[in-house]
Amino acid sequence: MSAASLPSATLAPPQAERKRALEDLLRARRLQADAPPLRGEDRRLRPLSTGIGAVDALLDGGFPRGALSEVHGPASSGRTGVLLALLARTTRGGALAALVDPLDRLDPASAAAAGADLSRLLWLRGPRGASEEPKAKALADATAAVATLAGSGLFDVVALDLAGADRERRRLPATTWLRLQRLVEGATTAVVLLADGHVACGPGGVALALEPVAPRWSGPPGPARLLAALAARARAGRHGLRSADLALAAL
Amino acid sequence: MFGGLHSPRPLPEEDALLALAREFTPRVEAPAPTPVLLDLSGLGRLWPTPHELGRALLDAAAARAIEAQAALAFSRAAALTLARARPGLTVVPAGGEAAALAPLPLDLLGLPADRQELFRRWGLRTIGDLARLPPVSLAERLGSDGPRLLRLARGEDEGLLVPAPLPECFETTLELDWPVDGLEPLAFLLSRVLEPLCVALAAHGAKAASLAVDLGLVDGTVHARVLKPAAPSGEVRTWRTLVLLDLEAHPLRDAIARITARAEPTPARPAQFSLLDPALPSPERLAETMARLHAWTAEGRGGSPQLVDTHRPGAFAVSTFAPGPLPRGRPEEAPPAPRVALRAYRPPRLAHVLTKGGVPVFVSAPGVRGAVVACAGPWRASGDWWDVAWSREEWDVVLALQPGQALAGGGVFRLFLDRLREEWFVGGELD
Repeated sequence: MSAASLPSATLAPPQAERKRALEDLLRARRLQADAPPLRGEDRRLRPLSTGIGAVDALLDGGFPRGALSEVHGPASSGRTGVLLALLARTTRGGALAALVDPLDRLDPASAAAAGADLSRLLWLRGPRGASEEPKAKALADATAAVATLAGSGLFDVVALDLAGADRERRRLPATTWLRLQRLVEGATTAVVLLADGHVACGPGGVALALEPVAPRWSGPPGPARLLAALAARARAGRHGLRSADLALAAL
Repeated sequence: MFGGLHSPRPLPEEDALLALAREFTPRVEAPAPTPVLLDLSGLGRLWPTPHELGRALLDAAAARAIEAQAALAFSRAAALTLARARPGLTVVPAGGEAAALAPLPLDLLGLPADRQELFRRWGLRTIGDLARLPPVSLAERLGSDGPRLLRLARGEDEGLLVPAPLPECFETTLELDWPVDGLEPLAFLLSRVLEPLCVALAAHGAKAASLAVDLGLVDGTVHARVLKPAAPSGEVRTWRTLVLLDLEAHPLRDAIARITARAEPTPARPAQFSLLDPALPSPERLAETMARLHAWTAEGRGGSPQLVDTHRPGAFAVSTFAPGPLPRGRPEEAPPAPRVALRAYRPPRLAHVLTKGGVPVFVSAPGVRGAVVACAGPWRASGDWWDVAWSREEWDVVLALQPGQALAGGGVFRLFLDRLREEWFVGGELD
């Protein structure tokens, strides 16, 4: 089937959408890899959407494949919520995702609540209750595992959770991130770092900075009150020129 | 030429005659342990005359303590029947099959009981009696079976020889002239061992479900490893990588003098993929990747998280990562709204909490310390009183981690009071 033989303007919307999905599949499986591009065909891989409208709009569609991206922010800024939304969106679509978690912070119940298909999520956990010195080794092992996972080409998203390990992270060689970026260039995998502050962002990647705003409660102080949502301000781009507000529901 | 080999005495082993016959030719038909039929075509260069070949067969049987009788003929029916009938060696010249069979009793043809009874009532006693019957009359009485029995009695063949299948043994051994030390040179040698194995598997339409590798070391010991990847594979490259990764994780004590690889075959199952669903990961590549992550998976730190059917907070399990196909006919569900996630502290951090009127006002725990700015709670939960009981009182608190800070730089944490131990813990951070 060729795009040229089907005039897309005359197709009903669901049919056009199906045709686009089919062409995406063909492209992803490299069935057309050696063929020249069709007229008007855009062969750039679609970025990986998080499903959070405000974040996707900020990132021009989502996290790009074949690049090193990052989500950073202080505690309770919603960075883990954004990452889990990305993992959920990826795994629900049938693709595989991996989370390298050297500090063992993932709560599987939170991942399931975010909508992730846990059978398609590979979780690599660091040693339990690591003190500082083993933590540094766990981080080094974790970056090696990210390289293995990204090099396998099996996963659409490979995430590395560095939040809470800022001091140990600084002890890693500065070339670590450069090597990771070079490794995923040209691949269909998006490598995403989760950190307290800016770590690294490849030339094709995106940096999403989150800043917490006051949390929202279900009512006035008292025994029946619940945490309703965490609000945050998201900034994208190297200079954080574009921003948007987002809220992560807690109920 | 064909050879029939029969033992009138019980065999030391059930397949003893078959094994003996396979020493002469791979084309052996053995519908029963005895007699067996050998296709002797092409053996004339080793044994110039049929008598020498027949004598060699009997000598080999005697060497194995088998009392055997052999018959060589140009038809399979004659060779088998004569081997059963005559002791020692019988050689039938070309065209002499009917004459050789004629004096033998009729029951040597192995006919069904009702046929034997019928022929007895007709007065037939020998195979020659049957062979001399008029074919048309026999066909009128017995139908299509009549001419078949007539051909059998004259020593003429029906159908083709069906060789017994060779036993499936997917094993290769490589004896090294010089010991090999280190994994890098071993990679080349492993390819030499695994390639014939994988070719043999492919010829049988099979893949290897597991691979046992025995490495004979110079010190006389054997370093035995068994690899069982998540999916069967018939790829040399995959198995070689898996073996090398396994040997990296389980180092050798000495140099290698002998390599033996043994595969457990399993049928190769073709899988039909969908064009509209994302492709499943290649089983070989998935197995290879998981082997590279052996350090994580071996300690149970790598796999798919799974929820457990319990109300106990933080309970989960980790299973082997083996993603399957997407379920068919799955209804399209709208993705859930973005949610707050818990960053769990494992184990929970013991905290010192100051309360005022039962409400936390200050929290101090390793890495978490500050005044409570706002909070929600308490939420009480308990369970498993019949097993390891738990009972807790949960609070979501906003901490100002530094004096004067409202939220920026602080965080929202989940505290809980263990009501059985009367101790406070920080369970994690909401993010």
